[in-house]
Amino acid sequence: MTIAPEKTARSMRDWPIVFPPAYEGSRIPARVPTILDVPADLVGSDDILQINFGPNHPSTHGVLRLIVDLEGEQVVGLNAVIGYLHTGFEKTMEQKTWWKCVTYPERIDYVGYQNAELVFVLAVEKLLAIDVPEKATWMRTLLCELNRIHSHLVFLGTSALELGAISMFWYCFREREMILDLYEMVTGARMHTRYFQVGGLAEDIPEGFYAECRKYVEWMPHALDDYLALLDRNVIWLERTKGVGLLSSEDAIALGQTGPNLRASGVDWDLRRDEPYLAYDQVDFRVPVYGGGDVYDRYRVRMDEMAESTRIVDQCLRRLERMDGKPWIVDDRKIVLPPREELHTSMESLIHHFKIVTEGFRVPEGEVYVAIESPRGESGCYLVSDGGPKPWRVHFRAPSFVALEATATCTSNAMIADLIAIVGSLDAVMGDTDR
Amino acid sequence: MNSGDMKWESLPGFVSIKESFGETTVTVEREQIRDACARARDDGFTFLADIVTTDYLGWGDKGVSGYIGTASGRDLHQPSTQGYQALPAPKPKRFSLSYHLLAMEQPRRRVRLQCWLDEGDPVQSVISVWPTADWHEREQFDLMGVQFDEHPNLARLLMPDDWEGHPLRKDYPIGGEPVRFSDAE
Amino acid sequence: MADAPKRLRDYGLQSERLLWPTKGPSKFEEELGVEEMERALGLTTLDKAVRWAQTKSMWPDTFGLACCAIEMMSIVSSRYDLARFGMEAFRSSPRQADLLIVSGRVAHKMAAPLRQIYDQMLEPKWVIAMGACASSGGMFNNYTILQGVDRIVPVDIYVPFCPPRPEALMEGIIRLHEAHQAGIEPAYARREVAT
Repeated sequence: MTIAPEKTARSMRDWPIVFPPAYEGSRIPARVPTILDVPADLVGSDDILQINFGPNHPSTHGVLRLIVDLEGEQVVGLNAVIGYLHTGFEKTMEQKTWWKCVTYPERIDYVGYQNAELVFVLAVEKLLAIDVPEKATWMRTLLCELNRIHSHLVFLGTSALELGAISMFWYCFREREMILDLYEMVTGARMHTRYFQVGGLAEDIPEGFYAECRKYVEWMPHALDDYLALLDRNVIWLERTKGVGLLSSEDAIALGQTGPNLRASGVDWDLRRDEPYLAYDQVDFRVPVYGGGDVYDRYRVRMDEMAESTRIVDQCLRRLERMDGKPWIVDDRKIVLPPREELHTSMESLIHHFKIVTEGFRVPEGEVYVAIESPRGESGCYLVSDGGPKPWRVHFRAPSFVALEATATCTSNAMIADLIAIVGSLDAVMGDTDR
Repeated sequence: MNSGDMKWESLPGFVSIKESFGETTVTVEREQIRDACARARDDGFTFLADIVTTDYLGWGDKGVSGYIGTASGRDLHQPSTQGYQALPAPKPKRFSLSYHLLAMEQPRRRVRLQCWLDEGDPVQSVISVWPTADWHEREQFDLMGVQFDEHPNLARLLMPDDWEGHPLRKDYPIGGEPVRFSDAE
Repeated sequence: MADAPKRLRDYGLQSERLLWPTKGPSKFEEELGVEEMERALGLTTLDKAVRWAQTKSMWPDTFGLACCAIEMMSIVSSRYDLARFGMEAFRSSPRQADLLIVSGRVAHKMAAPLRQIYDQMLEPKWVIAMGACASSGGMFNNYTILQGVDRIVPVDIYVPFCPPRPEALMEGIIRLHEAHQAGIEPAYARREVAT
């Protein structure tokens, strides 16, 4: 079911061989797995044009810079330069208390922001070793799956826009607006909701949410049918995406790919099913795996994942509708603010409130690594705590960072127009890449 | 995720093994990290998730605050803070380098291979074991200053090429600007 | 009638009938009548007319950096339709763009390309600093984020929040339109910094 490594630019069997730089004056250095270097017979010829696919380019993937060697229309050399959005999240979070830190991970993967928030909150909860109430777990699952649909919609809209299917952008963003309305109803903000709290959720689920969400769940399959009708039987789309950007399963694992990129290369690995977190072991969903390893398969994996996510949201809704009145955050006053009504009557609550707000709660000493299946792949959070109110070290394992490492391997015998399709299909968010 | 039946003690350069929070951390000697990684890959850990460096400069220096005291007394300047209740356990060296590995084939398991280094200590690059280590190692070199030997392209990745210093180290300032009315810390 | 409506000659306009005495009424005058035609004419200055035209088709440059870029994309989408202002044509080339919406946090590495893009735009050009990070560095006060994009480019409108709602960005854009229509110069002519 998986494609042979000979069809890709290189595989682990070619490795490690180190060659000197491709040609004099090349900005592409010696042979490295993440760099496509110019073949020996072209070195020194005048036909190579080196262009800069600069940090500001119209394909809406943010600030990625590709230095590309072209021979005519064909890409013979490629080097990806990142860092134009490096924000220093990890160092900044070391200065903030645990409570204030939660706003930061959302901005890392700014399209799949709920998942980024979730991974940090899960890591802190693992260090604290607390049990989150059931309602919070199910609501988190629901919001993360909505976020997965949101992320795939943005991917689909922008990738189709770049390949010329411009109307897809408007269709996808129409559904995206519906999701953002749901987020706004629950959390108050469209993006970067800061709704997940260490211990549960920040607030209770408002009335009327279940009805709105159910309307969305009933509408979404029609929208997906629309997208399939627009793209999947479109000859231009098929010609531009089938057979382009091949990545074999060996190379995908060797290059650390996860998520839809890995599943499109034929490897059946999904953290929601294989290392379940939240409530994923209690919902029924399928994991789409395709063996072609090309841009078309990555697109299909994400389309199918949207359908599966809608089913998961439906199941979460059914469970949540029976949980009215249950607690949404853990009851431990040392970690969580007490309810405001208590502050009028209880002295201990007042002191707890004061301590948590001014100094922050303490997290026991230790180091953990928590990984979840974000829309881009395995998103992980490595956390080191020294027992105090602020993190000692936070590191995020960014799936987009690793996805861009595979750009060179996917771009074998590609033309420059295919390069755009490939970079789009890897679904890299630059905030996630650069952190 | 437990580590299955893997005989960790037979890893080249093995120092110790620790289980906490449901995770296995295997400490190996810095000089033999590549052999240990190759051995782990051959045993099924074909997937390298992440390479992280942690700087422990100043670990435990804040002392204990609050009403709980230690043999060396308590911090009288911060009598009623909630800060540190106990001194954290001391670390062997300044930097810890962790490799997060995952075995996808049965039995599925995760492990963290860890080695300790001081500033300036070189580490063999594991790029020949897992090619994905390329950018991870470049990032750790860029932000923490860890030297990786035999890496074909150890250049800065996230910071501009002419940046001086390694930002994520504890002795590198946070930068930015002073803002009125923000905390003293 | 309090005071009679002003005739064109009161504005100093010489109608062609005065300059060419033997000319009869034009087709419009015959159909509408003289009074009606003077009421139906709009009177403006060249400056105002040019400003009106610039306002109604101020094309932005695709300068999406981070999270704010996603909200900027959603003003182009059908719910918060930017095309009603004539601005849905996001130009990729800065030489064809009028408006630079800096949407997202600007790292020091990106500051040089940002200034280069700004320099490649032709006058008149405007800059909207969208979001807290572009306005002032936002929540990131550290070694790598430029504390406000007005350090390197002159900014006309700052749109706060993180990220701004599409309506908020629209408010910023509409205020920019109104300011320009009212005669306020773009920021590079007013501010002494970063020109």
